[in-house]
Amino acid sequence: MNRAEWSRFMTMYRILIRSSFRSRMQYTFNFWVGTAAAAMINAVEFALLAVVLHRFGTIQGWSIAESGYLYAVITLSKAMYRSFASDVHHLEKYLVSGDLDGLLLRPAPVLLILMTQNFSPRFGETLLGASMLAISLGAIFEDDPAIWTAIPLTVLAIASGAVLMFGIGLLTASSGFWLTRIDALQVLTEDAARTAAQYPLTIYPGWLQGLLTGLIPVAFINYMPALYIIRGTHGAWTLGLSVAVSGAMLLLSLKLWKFGLSRYQSTGS
Amino acid sequence: MLFYALSRASFNRNLQYRASHLLHNVASALFGFIYLSIWTGIGETKDLGIYGLSGLVSYVALNQCLLWVTSFTSNGLGIPQLVRTGAIATELARPVHLFYQLMCREWGQIAYQAMYKSLPIYIVYLFAVPLRLPALPAAAASAAAVVCAAYLSICVHYLIGAAALWTTESSWFQWLNYAFSTLLSGFLIPIEWLPGWLGWISRWSFYPSLSYIPSRIYLGYDGIAAIYPSLIWSVVLTFACLAVTGFMRRRVEVQGG
Amino acid sequence: MIEAIGLTKEFRVPDPDASAKRRGLFSRRSIPKQAVSDISFTIPEGEFAGFIGPNGAGKSTTIKMLSGILHPTQGEVRLGGINPHRKRKEAARTLGVLFGQRTQLWWDLPLRDSYDILAAMYGLTPERKKDRIEELENLLRLSDFMDTPVRKLSLGQRMRGDLAAAMLHEPSILILDEPTIGLDAASKRDIRSLLRDINERMRTTILLTTHDMDDIEQLCGRVLVISKGKLDYDGGIAQLRARIGLPAVMEVTFRQAESAAAAAGELQSLGDSATEAAGGLHGPEPLSPAAAGIRLKSLEDRTLVLECDLKTSSSVQVLRELEKYGELEDIRMREPEFEDVVHKLY
Repeated sequence: MNRAEWSRFMTMYRILIRSSFRSRMQYTFNFWVGTAAAAMINAVEFALLAVVLHRFGTIQGWSIAESGYLYAVITLSKAMYRSFASDVHHLEKYLVSGDLDGLLLRPAPVLLILMTQNFSPRFGETLLGASMLAISLGAIFEDDPAIWTAIPLTVLAIASGAVLMFGIGLLTASSGFWLTRIDALQVLTEDAARTAAQYPLTIYPGWLQGLLTGLIPVAFINYMPALYIIRGTHGAWTLGLSVAVSGAMLLLSLKLWKFGLSRYQSTGS
Repeated sequence: MLFYALSRASFNRNLQYRASHLLHNVASALFGFIYLSIWTGIGETKDLGIYGLSGLVSYVALNQCLLWVTSFTSNGLGIPQLVRTGAIATELARPVHLFYQLMCREWGQIAYQAMYKSLPIYIVYLFAVPLRLPALPAAAASAAAVVCAAYLSICVHYLIGAAALWTTESSWFQWLNYAFSTLLSGFLIPIEWLPGWLGWISRWSFYPSLSYIPSRIYLGYDGIAAIYPSLIWSVVLTFACLAVTGFMRRRVEVQGG
Repeated sequence: MIEAIGLTKEFRVPDPDASAKRRGLFSRRSIPKQAVSDISFTIPEGEFAGFIGPNGAGKSTTIKMLSGILHPTQGEVRLGGINPHRKRKEAARTLGVLFGQRTQLWWDLPLRDSYDILAAMYGLTPERKKDRIEELENLLRLSDFMDTPVRKLSLGQRMRGDLAAAMLHEPSILILDEPTIGLDAASKRDIRSLLRDINERMRTTILLTTHDMDDIEQLCGRVLVISKGKLDYDGGIAQLRARIGLPAVMEVTFRQAESAAAAAGELQSLGDSATEAAGGLHGPEPLSPAAAGIRLKSLEDRTLVLECDLKTSSSVQVLRELEKYGELEDIRMREPEFEDVVHKLY
């Protein structure tokens, strides 16, 4: 893909975002109630843990603030991924209806066109994640000036995490070129894996920890970076490795996507 | 008999999706596993009251199985869909009461989910967790509590669905119900361990009847007497549903569906 | 210009006999199915061609290959000289496609915004975009609903919106897949005149697929018929009618009702014996040559409606036969319905 294609894509996306906001804001009441509802729904899963920790203090040595940090980072990563690549996650819809064909008629890479079909801002999740992040960091660092390095590092972790989730999502979606119905698979690779990574990884038995690090590497979204950023038990290499894993996952998923798409074009779905 | 006809239709409709449901079961079992890991994470060293770690993991695992019967009820019992298409007017005009109709259909759905979702997951948990087997009287009593819980869920969803006649965004209530249920039904943590105000709200609501009460009876921590709150709520909510149907009829007459 | 050269498409489908066959070491799981076999044609620049065929004939497969969506097993496609299977993105610039059953617009956004995004996608300069949108807005009468979300548009409005979207980047080739489907008569007339306009004014090459034969009759100078994966016919509409040789329909009005009744009665019994003769081995004497090609369709008051096979007897001969029964007052000839022509083909 060349520079001209990128710049056209960015312009397209900018217009899409602006337009999506405009049309959503027309229904302001719904917008705000929806935001509140989304924030609440997302808070509930953490509230479960919070209630337990309220009574028992720590879980495998992780305090409620540290657990909150883990939860906030993955929530924000997911919000970014699902805002920008909403229709990648919903590829099944395109495969079943045949609407994917229309995307093949455009003078740009199909994946980019797919991403510009829909922008679905996840306000509630973003607000919740950001608030939780602020509160957690505040509680963890208190007056320690190290918080000011922690913040940009966390932003890096969130961005890297979003790319990793995108990679996992694209990999799963690409299997749709063979399976068509990928809804059940997505529940496993995206929903279940993410729910597991919401809580400190060490609560799981060894085999599950291995799965979440080696097979569906969601551990690299929040857990591994957190070991360096807020716990200081490991060096910066955990963050570096997390970024590398995200990159690798992205490349792998792009390859599978290309392969799947060329198969779609020769077998006609 | 109408009950049989309606519920059977629901049941059969679901049968064709058995294969995809099996894959969903794997995910569902995994979710339960994730939640009970929170307790194994807390560990044996902490004082886990009368439950102990093995009691708690059984508790959570059982709650996860039961979700398919007590919580994963059809959205608003399908009423929002009926309102959207305008079919609600015809359905209300039928000789059979709307609540009875929709309830029967839902029982069929619940029976299917009990057989093809709760049961397989339950069996997996018996070996994997391991989930305790109940004593026979406890089994019978908890079964009754589960049926009661399913019925309560039907009522609640009927009321949520009815809201669709007054607002286009009845899904807010759906989500509210989901959030409250997760927090207040004792799904992860027994009610008595909820912090002050949360515990108070929970005890005065019907939510404990969905998870806490049936599971406590199953595990032998409570006798059959624990079912009384569930029974009382069943009666109260039934009246609520019947009353709301009256409002719905009036609304449809005025609005035209 | 659209060129199709030896287009072939073979799919692998599950073997329906798989269970019946004996389980050998290499049991066949899938067998090849020829959806399209060796289709070739050239549609020169500026031509308006129709593409028809029964369902399952390979029509949509061919269209998908032409537009670059599907790769052919064999053969080649060239759109304005570019092969869409080798250079998908480049070919996409010369092509505009309208799917009658689906929209390519952004469902929740105002119509205008769809054009903004598309303009950015195709890299139109702001000036060119402004001119182009204004041009299309006037041509397709979009001004009233440019700011309405696409999901709120009527089918006719949406179709016009989609047509504008297909043409925004000034493609030299338009492929239209059932553009009049589901529209009421007035909207159909509307779209047809717009398409005619586009073809004549902008010299756009247009390929139209449809199940509505009026579309073909009113718009296309040339029609391609596909059946069972092969190109059955490629030429003009008039020649198509002639080739099929369907009977022309004549409406003959007699001066007096009795003459009409007599003629009708005679034709009817001749027709009955003709049927008998066709079916039986031993029949009556062969019929008079003129009567052989005439079949009575209906009789109303003084008017007979007849089907005449003009290969057997010319219209003059038919009239001379009929005059035997009485004085003729009025005669009207009708071409066979295009529907029937096509139906006969399928």
